[in-house]
Amino acid sequence: MDLLAQPWSLSPSVALRPEPFGALAYHFGNRRLTFLKRPELVAVVRALGEHPTVASALVACHIPAAQHAAYAEALTGLARTDMIRPRSQGAAA
Amino acid sequence: MNPEDTATDPEAALTAEDLIEEVSIDGMCGVY
Repeated sequence: MDLLAQPWSLSPSVALRPEPFGALAYHFGNRRLTFLKRPELVAVVRALGEHPTVASALVACHIPAAQHAAYAEALTGLARTDMIRPRSQGAAA
Repeated sequence: MNPEDTATDPEAALTAEDLIEEVSIDGMCGVY
């Protein structure tokens, strides 16, 4: 599965609370809590739903290409706990 | 010493652990 080539979005069950380090993500369904430790990652997570792929969201948020793998790994971690969800092609924003 | 031989870009060495950290909500009692 190539997450970078797929459309994803923030889960509707997740609230992002801005923090000095980035944001705190809380999932109201599974009660999971995750620190997003970079403001740039918060911007990416917020932008996911507005872009056709994760990769295009990273580019739009000016994430250097050398960091895309790390962001993809972090986003995979967020997907594991349903913080972000795959978006069907027909449901693009 | 040539700086180009030792210079590394710390941003390029970013890892997922630098970006996210899952925490136990039980450990947050009294904080949030």
